[in-house]
Amino acid sequence: MVTNLPDDIDIAGTKTRMEVAFGSGDGDEDMTAIVAKKESNLGAIFEQSYKPWDGELGPRWMRNYSIFRHHVYGLFTSKGHRHYHPFVRLTILVILLASLTPIPMLFLSSLLPGQDGDFLSKMWGINRFNLWGQILGYFPRNLCMWPLLTALVVGGMISDDRRNGTSAIYFSRPINRFDYTAMKFISVAVILGFVIIFSYFAYYTSAIVFRGEGWAFLIDTLPLFLGGMLSGIFLVLTYTSIGLALSSISQSRFFAAIGFLSIIYGTKIVALLIDMQFDTSILYILSPYDCLAHIGQFLLGIELNYEHPLAFSIISLIIMNIVSMSILVSRISSMEVTRE
Amino acid sequence: MNDINQKPPSVLLENVSKWYGEVIGINDISLAIEGGVTGILGPNGAGKSTLFKLLMGRLKPSQGTVRLFGIDPWKSTSPYRRIGYVSESERMYDWMTSLDFISTLARLHGMSRDEAVERSKHVLDFVGLEDVHHKEIGKYSKGMRQRVKIAHALVHDPDLIILDEPLHGCDPIARTSIMSVVRELGSQGKTVLISSHILEEIERITEQIVILHNGKLLAIGNLHAIRDLLDQHPHRILIKCDSPRELAQLFIREDPVYGVRFPEDGQLEIQTNNLSAAHDILPSTIVKSGQKITSIENPDDNLDSLIGYLLGGINNG
Repeated sequence: MVTNLPDDIDIAGTKTRMEVAFGSGDGDEDMTAIVAKKESNLGAIFEQSYKPWDGELGPRWMRNYSIFRHHVYGLFTSKGHRHYHPFVRLTILVILLASLTPIPMLFLSSLLPGQDGDFLSKMWGINRFNLWGQILGYFPRNLCMWPLLTALVVGGMISDDRRNGTSAIYFSRPINRFDYTAMKFISVAVILGFVIIFSYFAYYTSAIVFRGEGWAFLIDTLPLFLGGMLSGIFLVLTYTSIGLALSSISQSRFFAAIGFLSIIYGTKIVALLIDMQFDTSILYILSPYDCLAHIGQFLLGIELNYEHPLAFSIISLIIMNIVSMSILVSRISSMEVTRE
Repeated sequence: MNDINQKPPSVLLENVSKWYGEVIGINDISLAIEGGVTGILGPNGAGKSTLFKLLMGRLKPSQGTVRLFGIDPWKSTSPYRRIGYVSESERMYDWMTSLDFISTLARLHGMSRDEAVERSKHVLDFVGLEDVHHKEIGKYSKGMRQRVKIAHALVHDPDLIILDEPLHGCDPIARTSIMSVVRELGSQGKTVLISSHILEEIERITEQIVILHNGKLLAIGNLHAIRDLLDQHPHRILIKCDSPRELAQLFIREDPVYGVRFPEDGQLEIQTNNLSAAHDILPSTIVKSGQKITSIENPDDNLDSLIGYLLGGINNG
């Protein structure tokens, strides 16, 4: 027990002996400390209360639809869906708008009277050449738009799953490899179809509406329209199968995209050079675009500007699709299994 | 009498082997598992992940049959409606929130949108992530990511849950949380398979274990029963204290103790053939000595020792 302390010593601790002796502070009088407050409760052990679920799991189509929507809805929002880079979304939007450019011209032609309107109508109106060009014209559609669109969409479609191992998410659920492949294929085809076929359909419809055409015009041009649409479907299916095959053999979205563009442009350029040098069009059968263009010319009744028989292009296109699908199926079959 | 309507077990392996070229992954394993938590124990390379991949249809057995609820998982994906699988290496969509991610996976099981969201919230709540379910998974810690994996495995209320090293890389709190989750699932009657190479982890969750070593099934059954079988083998107890020699004088007089060693300064190693009897006399002897004890450890109480003893038993046998 402490007794007889001097009166000026404060044993409560606010003054030290040094301060009492020398009447000066030791620097500790304003001593403060900041201690981080523990605001989160991450360290807490939570209480478990598991509640069984007594609902019914949906059928196969519901599972497949969820794969489809994951990929397609991702173009509009990443929330809960596949992530597309904003640049990819923007480019797809630009391609869609560019593919719709004939529509304002048709609208303008409907507003302008006389020769000006007729000129615009002739340039952008419905005829077999314009219908062919809307899908299979080389510049700008098949040089800049469709291949770029396909490359951007297929780029990471399967290669991302290969790289990240996220295919396990599907294969540890009641989703078989056929469904996985089919839904990836349909997702890509629908996105390409939305831009290519939708823009074609919008072009045809607006031409009829803006020009006030009647049933006779519709009946006259419908076979041409259907021929063009069939060409568009062939184009979408071919580009999708080639693109997905490339995506399935790599772990890089860049490889798949560049590989696709290389095939489309490379075969075209080689065939063009051979044609110019040796005056033969036979190598165009190696070019997916030219095979499609050749078949499209036939379907729309345009004079064929390839020297080789149409059958060569048809067979070549079938072989391209079969080879691409075989690669795709073979790679998907070995996914997650070959890792061992 | 055989009941022809008898329900097949959740997991059934009959003489299953898997070879990778000349390397044996799994060697002639037969087992049936139904209900409760079963720990699959084995050191790295023992064949735990191979076993799980066989169950998940990612590998085809070189020999034998694998059945989940009576169905071959290599040929049909239908058993996966009733299975929740947490892979050790599986990645997630890091840009998604955990709620979006799990509800997306719930829809892959065929749930409607509302059901998926409601059920996802429940399982996230169950694993203790309800406060952060609007945060992107990429921002989660390792322990939180593991809990997201468990949540996505539970979202469709599976009957069989397969967890491949779910505690790997988790901090102690996350481990404790995950262990509680697994125990709770087991108590609800789910069949849970959980793999680990750490005995203490599994011991805290379940007593039912399967021990694999070099692809072979080394032991199966109750952990304590396996330990009892091993009691005739020598065991060690390591005591850290101030005066090990004084303490040793007291212990050496006791029946279960047949030898003592002093591995390092301040350490006493007691050697016994009867581990439980040695533990029985431990407190009274320590109190009698009046010494301050820093720690008591069982160096043989780990998976390597257990496997060593089991292999020794097999070799001796």
